[in-house]
Amino acid sequence: MSLLQRVQSWAPVPVYPVTGEGGAAPMQGLRLRPALTFVSSIRHASVLLVCGNIREADRPALRRLHDQLAHPRATFWWRAEPLSDAADPVSDTSDDPVEALCRLDRLLRTGARTSEADWLPNEPPNPWKGEGAHGQGGKGMMGGVPYGRPMAMTDQDLRDGLMLDAMTLRLGPFAPMLPAGLSLELTLQGDVVQAARVLTPVYADKAPREHASLWQAADLLNLLGLEALALQCRSVVEKPGFSRRKLLDAARRAGAFLAIPPNLGRAGVTDVRSRLRSALLGDDHGISADILDLVELLVGCEWQEAMLVINSFTRDQLIRIAPVTPEQADGEGAANPSRVPMQHHGAHG
Amino acid sequence: MSPLANLAITLVIAGFAGLAIIGWPRGSGASWPQRVPFLGGGSQTTHAWQRYHLRYYPMTLLFIAFEMEMMFMYPWAVVYVEEGLKALGEMAMFLSILSVGIVYAWREGVFRWQ
Repeated sequence: MSLLQRVQSWAPVPVYPVTGEGGAAPMQGLRLRPALTFVSSIRHASVLLVCGNIREADRPALRRLHDQLAHPRATFWWRAEPLSDAADPVSDTSDDPVEALCRLDRLLRTGARTSEADWLPNEPPNPWKGEGAHGQGGKGMMGGVPYGRPMAMTDQDLRDGLMLDAMTLRLGPFAPMLPAGLSLELTLQGDVVQAARVLTPVYADKAPREHASLWQAADLLNLLGLEALALQCRSVVEKPGFSRRKLLDAARRAGAFLAIPPNLGRAGVTDVRSRLRSALLGDDHGISADILDLVELLVGCEWQEAMLVINSFTRDQLIRIAPVTPEQADGEGAANPSRVPMQHHGAHG
Repeated sequence: MSPLANLAITLVIAGFAGLAIIGWPRGSGASWPQRVPFLGGGSQTTHAWQRYHLRYYPMTLLFIAFEMEMMFMYPWAVVYVEEGLKALGEMAMFLSILSVGIVYAWREGVFRWQ
């Protein structure tokens, strides 16, 4: 191993976490290990860490995620069944996979293990080339469908009646800012959520409430940019004698509550602020039965507010208030992503 | 050689040196699945080229108004003492013209926090 490779091996392993059923608790424990860095973007990771059982419905998303990793890359299946696409999978069922992860990363960096190939075929996700010999003509780039996706069409803005473009995207189920398993179809105008639809529900979590509440508080504090405080929340999980009031006071001093708009995500008598407070103290903040739909809370929120609202509920609450939303008929809802815009240039070829 | 020729040659050499350091522009070599936007495993149905509201534009206009005031007040302050009342009158006229714009923005709710 050259000197550069040796120095490189000292760096923490950048992993992107994919949490499945039963993987939440083990994954939270790994977040405290200095040998690993949990990255928020798939492009920054070299190892895709999969823990827990992945639903059949989420496997296409996992394939998409895997192929977005930069080379050299590998997938580590920790207490998870490898997909059939994985050739030579690295699996581990032990309680502590850190050493195996570091070894895998070293093998990747030194070139001893070849980078994993794509699991999906190497073709554009939305075919857009025309009919001619050189891809010209027909319906394609000139037909208003660049790279095969329709342009975001204008739609009335919720707040002040402007006509702005409404972009529809599907986020999740392994997005870093959403609870594991939750995938949403969001229609955004800029950063304002215009419409939302739940595609897959969040994975159930069997962890004890006193642990789950601290992890939930850590996720919320991470969203607010208070990473050090979030790390402290995660680290006190294993310290039952630690006073949780100290965490609450530290969060208050750091301005966490001031950063959250008042009455955001109001569900009966609770809002995001009170739910963060309950999560830090470990109280049980039951939400009103009137709040049946997470989607109603999200519409009209800005991006940051929407993420705070989603993460302010526990997994059990999210399973209740965020069931899978059936697809509406065409023409309903704020934006229709399948609507192809007008042909500006007419057909060619 | 003239300074301009020296500058031109320096720029050309620097440009080529920069290109050499980055390894000459070439394609990323990324496959089609690798180029898909990162959405946590999700997919995109509409194009990402979207027009969105530049919500900070009233703040920008207000900044420009005050910035112009400042810009003319700096040189004015240097000559104000020797010019006396005449300079004060001219600055008052300038400020009143700018305040028309600021009062209009105030009426439009620019100072209202949202």
